[in-house]
Amino acid sequence: MRFDSIARPLAGSCLGRRSIGSARGNLLSLLCGSMILLAGALRGAADLPTLWAERLKCVVAVEYVTETEADRRPTVSMGTVIDANGTIILASGAIDPRAATCQLKDFKVYLPGGAVGVDAVYLGQDAYTGWHFVRVNESLRTQLVAVTAFAAKDATAVPALADFVWGIGLRNKDEDFAPYIMQSNLALIQTLPQRTGITQREVAAPGLPVFDREGALVGLAAASFGQSYLQFSPGNRSSPILLINVEESSAFILAQEILPFLNRVPKNISGRPLAWLGAYGLEPMDRDVAKFLNLSAQSGAVVSEVLEESPAERAGLKARDIVLALDGKPLPQLKPDRAVVTYIEREVDRRVPGATLAMTVLRGAERIELKAVLGEEPKLMREAERKYFDRIGLTTREFVYGDAIERRVKATAAPGVIVHFVKPSSPVAVAGIRQEDWIREIDGVEVKTFVAAIAKLAEIERDQARAEFVLLVARGGDTAVLRIKLK
Amino acid sequence: MKPFSARSTSALATCLLLAISLFAPVQAAPSRKFNQLLESVVRIDVREVAFEAGARRYAASIGSGVILSADGVVLTNAHVASPRAVELNITLSSLERVSATLVGWDHWTDLAVLRIDMAEVKRRGLKFAHAEFGESEKLYPGQEVFAVGTPHGLTRTVTRGIISNNNRYFEDTRGVNGYETGAFNTWLQTDAAINPGNSGGPLVTGDGKVVGISSRSYLGANNLGFAIPSATARRVLENLLRDGTIVRSYVGLVPGALQDLENFFSLALNTGVLINSVDPGSPATKAGLRGGDIVLAINGEKVDGRFPEQLPPIQNLIASQPVGATVKVSVKRGAETRDYSVVTEKLESRVGEEWALEKWGLSVRKVSRAYARENQLDDVTGVVVIGVQPGYPADVAGLSRGDIISKINQQPVMSMEVIKVAQAAYEANPAPTLFEAQRNRRVSLYILKP
Repeated sequence: MRFDSIARPLAGSCLGRRSIGSARGNLLSLLCGSMILLAGALRGAADLPTLWAERLKCVVAVEYVTETEADRRPTVSMGTVIDANGTIILASGAIDPRAATCQLKDFKVYLPGGAVGVDAVYLGQDAYTGWHFVRVNESLRTQLVAVTAFAAKDATAVPALADFVWGIGLRNKDEDFAPYIMQSNLALIQTLPQRTGITQREVAAPGLPVFDREGALVGLAAASFGQSYLQFSPGNRSSPILLINVEESSAFILAQEILPFLNRVPKNISGRPLAWLGAYGLEPMDRDVAKFLNLSAQSGAVVSEVLEESPAERAGLKARDIVLALDGKPLPQLKPDRAVVTYIEREVDRRVPGATLAMTVLRGAERIELKAVLGEEPKLMREAERKYFDRIGLTTREFVYGDAIERRVKATAAPGVIVHFVKPSSPVAVAGIRQEDWIREIDGVEVKTFVAAIAKLAEIERDQARAEFVLLVARGGDTAVLRIKLK
Repeated sequence: MKPFSARSTSALATCLLLAISLFAPVQAAPSRKFNQLLESVVRIDVREVAFEAGARRYAASIGSGVILSADGVVLTNAHVASPRAVELNITLSSLERVSATLVGWDHWTDLAVLRIDMAEVKRRGLKFAHAEFGESEKLYPGQEVFAVGTPHGLTRTVTRGIISNNNRYFEDTRGVNGYETGAFNTWLQTDAAINPGNSGGPLVTGDGKVVGISSRSYLGANNLGFAIPSATARRVLENLLRDGTIVRSYVGLVPGALQDLENFFSLALNTGVLINSVDPGSPATKAGLRGGDIVLAINGEKVDGRFPEQLPPIQNLIASQPVGATVKVSVKRGAETRDYSVVTEKLESRVGEEWALEKWGLSVRKVSRAYARENQLDDVTGVVVIGVQPGYPADVAGLSRGDIISKINQQPVMSMEVIKVAQAAYEANPAPTLFEAQRNRRVSLYILKP
């Protein structure tokens, strides 16, 4: 096991999601599944099948479609029911953060072993927990039980080392999401910074609950972590590889980190209000650096950049300051080192815009106390307006704050639009336009707003007599004048 | 292939000479001048230092060159002999070997000038011939030329071909051992076989006149070789002999060929140069120029950049201005035409000074102005990590290639001196040292422990 490579939500771009295209319903895996079932029956407590049958009612499979210009990609993910209103949470990695909210379509909820999907709506993502919230139609609600029904009497109880724990996995769609049991024992508890249990073997599908022998909820399975293997192949004797099981996890976040936050259902699909500090590129330090800076039992994080007109800038935070404490509480020394960054991010995310965050920073040899009044996160890329032009062959996206950061320009003084998608073999593709190019001028006219840009492009798109047009695009620090031939 | 013995080499050489007289029937006599040229071509053995993987490493290579004066001036490629060379040896056509020193180099044109140790030549009573330049401007496609050099160490190899193109354009941002090349000159293209080791040898006409310096070829292609024209070489040679270096001016304009865009910009045919890009923070940016502008004239001189091969002379026009001079650039933007005043600065390479910090297992290169611009850095503070030695303190602490070290023990790395001082202090008294480095804009701290 390698704990240092735990795939936390930070890295969770594809974890916890299954592509239907890769469904592997072969006989072998069916056999494996039934063997696990058999083993479970033999080893578990006598009433485990009963507990299992009851708790099956709080897990579902959720399918949705990401609709892009070029295709519709279905994705399946596992969800846990959290209330009587049919609200379901999905792990943060269940939805690609690059997908625009408007591209997420056709949410459907399936019962374990169920063949028919029931319509559901996407409610948005909570920044603090990272969970995506989905609500299923009333027709299914009576068949569901909230996971809170299985909470332990003492919500702060923590399983002991070597305790028996079990959870549920769901097979692929072509097997009607057949449920199966997974059993393991607690091997270790880590603070990452959430208290996370690591089990000896896979214990549940990511996003699904983990229970103890009595059937009390002990946690929610997170994205699993990488395990090191050596790969042998002819001609290449061995090479180390890292494997991550995306369907079954051996890491779970303890119930005490779950239950208090189940009420964080987003008020709207954008998940706003979103608290914003504007300290970019927080980098952890290792113990050697902490020791060198005379930080004995605590850690710190270097601020790489302070974003323009952000609450951090207004509070007087400077690039290369080292954050030592939040609200007077020294940053904990966590392992892996990176966990301290998640710690800070969560401290911001659990607040609301307008709240105050007091920071102690080290600047050179001086300790400075700062107070930031958190702001509202500027428009995110996933919220940016988009427009697709089929004949020209591209989707333009509104230039948002994040684009300015990426391109190291002032957000306020940066007109233009971003190329979000390039249709293969289209006129713009032939001319050499690439995704993420920044369009500065169309036909020699500076692009001032998104609306102006799409008006201009729509005019070109409509004009069947048009033979060509010219774009000035920026890529990296360079610009180029590209001629797009429409005929 | 087995190495040749001395005897078989000389036998081979005799065959070659014989062959030349056979295949050059157009020249009246088997050209006394061509024989003289052969005696002026030398083999160059170079030992050079590289600051790779956190250590100083030495490597040997072989190239060619041509002697151009009785006092032992040798012209070769910048990618053969550079300031990294620690030892230069020249093998004369008499097979005698003498040492040489670097007079200067110019990676932009891929040329370097060496001087043979004449004291040694006198002491040992050695003799050599020297070649003369021909006029590269008068070459025409189809004209017969010969490449002479030391391909793969095969001394005094002559290959024959024609001029395939006399005005080839290509720019390469990393073409000369990582240095930029080709922005200020066009190249001669020939099908005379040019192989590794031919580099720096002359491309000559049948009368033995040097019309080019063989420089590069497409590997894996059939006889697509390139040489620096003598018109360029002559100028560079003069400058390097006089000053030891070539100073060029820079304004930060990146031109593109107009090719068919004249209509869009409402330009008369054969007018103007398209500005594809303007380097951030460059004099041109400061003056207000931007991508998409059309330059009509520079200091009143009309420019025409319709085709790529027309761009080097225009780049050269700017480069040959004195550093700090004000250049008047006439620009068309939309319907409007106006003049901009751009103050030139000294042209620098992206590749800065290199150094190895061997106790730390770290090799570094100074951030140059060009590198800072290319990578959108705020300023030229810092050194770039170009290599780490596995298991040494820098590697153990987590530094890796591409990181930019901005501070050592809280001291900003304004110059390579700062690094050298810190290294000396560490060597005198090894103690944990705090490094601040940036990777993809993210700033981290590292402790390098003894």
